[in-house]
This record gives sequence, C-alpha cells and structure tokens, in this order.
Amino acid sequence: MAEISNYKIVLSAIGPLMLLAIVIAFLMGPGTSFLEFGLVLPDIHIEQIDFVDGEIQAIVRNTGPIDVNITVADVNDRIQPAAIEPDNHLTKFETALVRIPYDWNEGQPYSIGLTTDDGTRFEKSVDAASLKLEVNAELIGYLGLIGFLIGIVPIMIGLLWFSFIQKLGSNKYRFFLAFTVGLLLFLAFDAIEEASEISQNHLSEIFNGQLLIVTVTILSFLILFAIGNSLIRKSQFSKISKPLAISLMIAVGIGFHNFGEGLAVGAAIALGQVALSTFLIVGFAIHNTTEGFAIAAPMARTKAMILRLICLGLIAGTPAIFGTWVGGFSFSPFSTVVFLSIGAGAIFQVVVSIIQYIREESENTLSNTSIILGIGLGLVVMYLTSIFI
Amino acid sequence: MFMILVIVVSISTLYFVIPAVSDAAEEPKTFLTHTGLAIQTTGDIIDPIGYTGELLEFDPESYLRDFDYGTVSELEDGTILREFTITARDDQVMEVSPGVFYNVWTFNGTVPGPTIRATEGDLVRVHFSNEGSKSHTMHFHGIHKAEMDGVFENVGPGGKFIYEFFAEPVGLHLYHCHVHPVEEHIAHGLYGAYIVDPKEGRAQADELVFVLNGLDTDFDGENNFYGANTVPFYYQHHPVEISTNELIRAYVVNILEFDPVNNFHLHGTLFHHYPAGTDTVPAGFNDMLTMSQGEREILEFEYKYPGLYMFHAHNTEFSEKGWVGSFLAKDTNKNISDEI
Repeated sequence: MAEISNYKIVLSAIGPLMLLAIVIAFLMGPGTSFLEFGLVLPDIHIEQIDFVDGEIQAIVRNTGPIDVNITVADVNDRIQPAAIEPDNHLTKFETALVRIPYDWNEGQPYSIGLTTDDGTRFEKSVDAASLKLEVNAELIGYLGLIGFLIGIVPIMIGLLWFSFIQKLGSNKYRFFLAFTVGLLLFLAFDAIEEASEISQNHLSEIFNGQLLIVTVTILSFLILFAIGNSLIRKSQFSKISKPLAISLMIAVGIGFHNFGEGLAVGAAIALGQVALSTFLIVGFAIHNTTEGFAIAAPMARTKAMILRLICLGLIAGTPAIFGTWVGGFSFSPFSTVVFLSIGAGAIFQVVVSIIQYIREESENTLSNTSIILGIGLGLVVMYLTSIFI
Repeated sequence: MFMILVIVVSISTLYFVIPAVSDAAEEPKTFLTHTGLAIQTTGDIIDPIGYTGELLEFDPESYLRDFDYGTVSELEDGTILREFTITARDDQVMEVSPGVFYNVWTFNGTVPGPTIRATEGDLVRVHFSNEGSKSHTMHFHGIHKAEMDGVFENVGPGGKFIYEFFAEPVGLHLYHCHVHPVEEHIAHGLYGAYIVDPKEGRAQADELVFVLNGLDTDFDGENNFYGANTVPFYYQHHPVEISTNELIRAYVVNILEFDPVNNFHLHGTLFHHYPAGTDTVPAGFNDMLTMSQGEREILEFEYKYPGLYMFHAHNTEFSEKGWVGSFLAKDTNKNISDEI
C-alpha cells in the first residue's frame, strides 16, 4: 500500500516535468522553425584586461545567443595585430585570451576594443595600466601583511572591549548588543552595495548580477541559519555555551565579510590604484575594530577566556589575508560578487541570532529604548567610519 | 534540500566561471608584428594590417587601374556616344576586411562602383536599373540638365532610368546615390569616380584611382574602418607597384562620411595637385592634401629613388584604422641594364 502511494507521488511530481519537456521540444527541438524569427545579435564581453611585458591581454567571453568570430583587436580605437587563444571562434559562453603585442605606458588609461565578424565593436577601458602582479614570495608576504593589518589587528583591538562590556549592567549590556546589531546590519548592506557595484562595472549582463546577489545572499542566510540553529541547540548539551555559539557565528559571518574586504584591497593593489588601496586599508582598519566589539559582546556574560576570544578573532580576521591574495593575484568579478553576497547572507543570519538572544535576555520584548537606540547608533557609527573608505 | 541547492549552485558556478575547454594546444608559432614585437602563440592570428590570407571578394588591385570607357559608338553628327549599364543593389553582404562582413550597397556589385571615363564633349548615356529593395539614383557631379541630376527622380525598386548628358567640364568628378538619407546611401557604398578627359588628352602616365572612404560597420555614426578603395590596409599588405622616373597620375576622390575632413600624405616625393582636375595649372606642389567630403584632386608625381614609400592619411587615426598603403617604386632602368 505504502509502495503504491510512493509510486503515485513520484509520478505526480515527474508528470508536469515531462509535459514541460515536450513543450520545450516543440519550441526548440530539431526540425522546428517555430522560434526562428526576429534578429539575433552577437554579444561579447571583455571580462578582464591585464598588462604584461610588451603585451596587453584581454579575456573575452561570448555572452550572446550565437557563435561569433573575433576579427579585429584595437587599442584606444587603433587597430592592432593580435593573437587569440585557443582560436578566434567563440561558441556560446566560451572565453578566449586575446594577446596584443603593445608597448604600453605605466599609469596611462587604455581602452581595448574587439570587433566581431558582423563589424560590431565592443570595448572595455582601464583607468591606469600597471604590470600584472606575479606570484612571488615577496608579494605574497606583502599582501598577507596587509590582510593581517586590515583583518586581524583591528579585530583583536576591538576584542579588548570585552572587559568593558563585562562590567556593564543588563540595560547597558542590551544597548551594546543592539549596537552590535546596528554595526552588522550596516556591514551587510555595505557588502551588497559593493557586490552590486562590482557586478555593474565588471560582470557581463548575462550573469544577472543583481539577482545573483539576491540569490546567493538568501541561500547563504538559509544555510548558515540551519547550521547556527543546530549549533545553538547542541550548545545546550555540550560545553559550548549559547553566547559562545552566537559569537562563533558572528565570527564566521564577519570572516566571510572580511574575505570580501580583502578581495577589494587586493584587487585595488593589483590594479595599481595605490591611492585608493591606501584609503581602503586605513578605512577597513578603523571599520574593523567595531567587528571585534561585535564578537566580544555576546560573550561578555561568560567567563573571560582569552584563548577563545583570540580564536574567534582569528576566525573573523584571517579570511582578509586570503582575500588580499585572491584579489591581488586572480581577481574574478564573479567570485567576488558571490563571496560578498555570502558575507551579506552570513551577517543577516548573525543579526537574527543576536536579536533572538536579546529577546531572551529582555523577556521577549524589543521595544526597549536602549535596544532601539543601540541599533540606530550602531548604524550611525558604521556610516561615519565608512566615510573613510 | 539545502544540499541539493548547494550542489546545483556550485555546479552552475563552475560552469560559468571556468572557461569552456577547447581543443588541445598545438605547436606554438611565432607571431612577429610589423612594429617588431614578437610573441609565441598556439592560437589564431588576427592581423588585418599584415594580412597574408586569401584575397577578399573585392579586389582593390584591379580596381586601381580599371577604367570603364563604356560601349562606344558614333552619332550622325560625329559625336562620340558612350553607353554604360549600371545596376544598383542593396542586398550584398561582403567581406570588407578579413573576417568582417558588412551589408554593402553597390553600383555594379562593387564599392566603389566602376570608374566611368569619357572625353570632353562625348555624349554619356547611363542605363541605370535599380535591383535593390530601396529607391536609388545616380547623381553625377558636372554640368548637365536639371532632370539628369539624379536627385528628384527617385528610381524605385525594379525601376529604370536613363541618364544622358555631355561630358563636361574636363576634370575628376564623382557620382553617388542621392536618395535620402543620403548619408546612409553613401556610407553603404553607392558611389564611384567619374573622369572627363580633355580632348587633347593628358600626358602619358601610370594612372591610378584612389577613392577615400570608410566603413561604419556597427552603425554608430563613426567609421570603424578607413581605406583607399574600401579594403582597410589593402595597399599596405599589397603595395602598389610603380616605376621610378615615370609620371604617376593619381585620381583621388574623398567620399568619406561622418568625418568632415580627410587627407592624403605622400612619402619620399612631392606632387603637383589639380583641384577637381579642372585646370591645367597646378594649385600647389606639396606632399599633403586636405579634402572635405566630395572633394577630389588629380595628383601628378614621380619617384626619383626606388623603394617602398608609404601614402596615408596624416590624420593618424584614419591611417591606423586602415587608410594606409605603400608604393613599391621599382627602378626599371636598372632592371633593364641588369638583364643586358
């Protein structure tokens, strides 16, 4: 009996899918000319431009509905001979590397154009040419140090507020927990803004950048929500206290966020935007001190355990180092957008966890003046520190 | 459920982020550019400047010295009648630069159309038929009756028209379609050179036609390619062979659209130039010539020394987008003495 009903369930699930397949076959299958009207225009997208010794390299992707041939390459709208690897024929979604022998000048803006077989020219500009970073020990060390300075150091400094928070009365403690919520909310929106900026400037339209951000943010939230809940549930039966579980989740969320920050700094250095990267480094350093505070706050009702705090700080800060490496050596707009969105989702999850924690601490009410004031002030402080970036 | 979502997302991410894998790399070949830079590549080389592949559909080589004198007969009063048959089309897709395909509108199937040539006082009769999908006309520069001006008498698809006028004045003129929007009809290729020789003839010379034009292949109101006789860089990879100490007469017509000014710069020698070729006294002795749209000049020059000499737009944007070529001046006397 049970087997029959299972069979029926499967059939009722698959039935509509099969009908849909038949409809698609009718519309697009071989031998049908049902959708063969209108114009199909080729579309390509130059995803990346690198400057190496005596050569400008561009990675191009066919983002259109039909195959294309790349026929002409130009630098600043002046035709240049070029090589294209593996070949000049690009099927849908395929990428190719265009190599233009060119004596480029450091710091000068360039626009690279590619023309398809129908004579349409596509272009991408670079603000200032600088030699593509090559992986070597010195540079790995340099970028690692920058990651350390923007990630780990400020968070560790922020964690020093632990003893201050510990000494607070319950009302003030709620205020500072709420303050943390404000900080984190700001970080989440900051990450989304950064991601949509990158997707607009660097990602081809075919990826639907904005929807990619929404999808990844929500997925990341859901997954981490499930993990976080089970962690908190387990904390009831183990040595891990609930505040520690929340702090851990905050550290993980901030870790994702800092990976994104590291990417931004690494990419700015790789693109030779020295002034911008200096601003980013100083800005993130100030900004990230507040992250240490956010990690410390939920733990403040437990006994101070220096080692645990340091571990949490490392979980939150170390990804910045990896971020600067990835951003510096192989900046990819797609993965940057994905990581920033994961970070945003992670932070939203943390916000929910802290709010739940505050509610438990304050007898199921959130309409406490100190809580509202805390969230608002957290946002304002973050906004003010963000002006440095 | 989450796991399934995660798997789907990661697989689709990989699909997008990792470039499609193509055929295995072959032996790398060395690619040496004309500026002396060299790279090793296993891929394709796209080089319209140093192009060595098969010739394109339109051959600027033969166009250069190809003059259409028409079908000649004599009227009762002794006037020479030259009859031409010209067909306009607007459906051809031509490879204008290696690998680049563009919808050209043509007189007799080519851009530019045939170089129509008559002698002063000849009766020119053009049997024009329009096999295109739009209206077209032939508007000749020169002296003729108003109804032969090819402006108000649009010739519709499938239509015919006979243009008839006496060849005057002496000089280098042009013809082009004059249907609105004229810019579009010209930019697509409906034009050609029209030469009226003086009765007494001109001095013996190696005569060449250069129609300076451009191609706006993506219709953004800016030329993607520039050229002399359509194909960008053509005379760069196929230099025009001439002889030293021989008079060269170049008929240069500027029909460039979108850019108000075009120019012509000659290396290694200077030319006498005759605006519109209407006068016998040169307007100057120069190596630079600036022309606006529709302007044309006859250039006369000789090369003293053998070798490869460039000619190009001194507006280097144009030259670096195709309007550049070379003369290969050969020392004919020396060759003869070598043979002896």
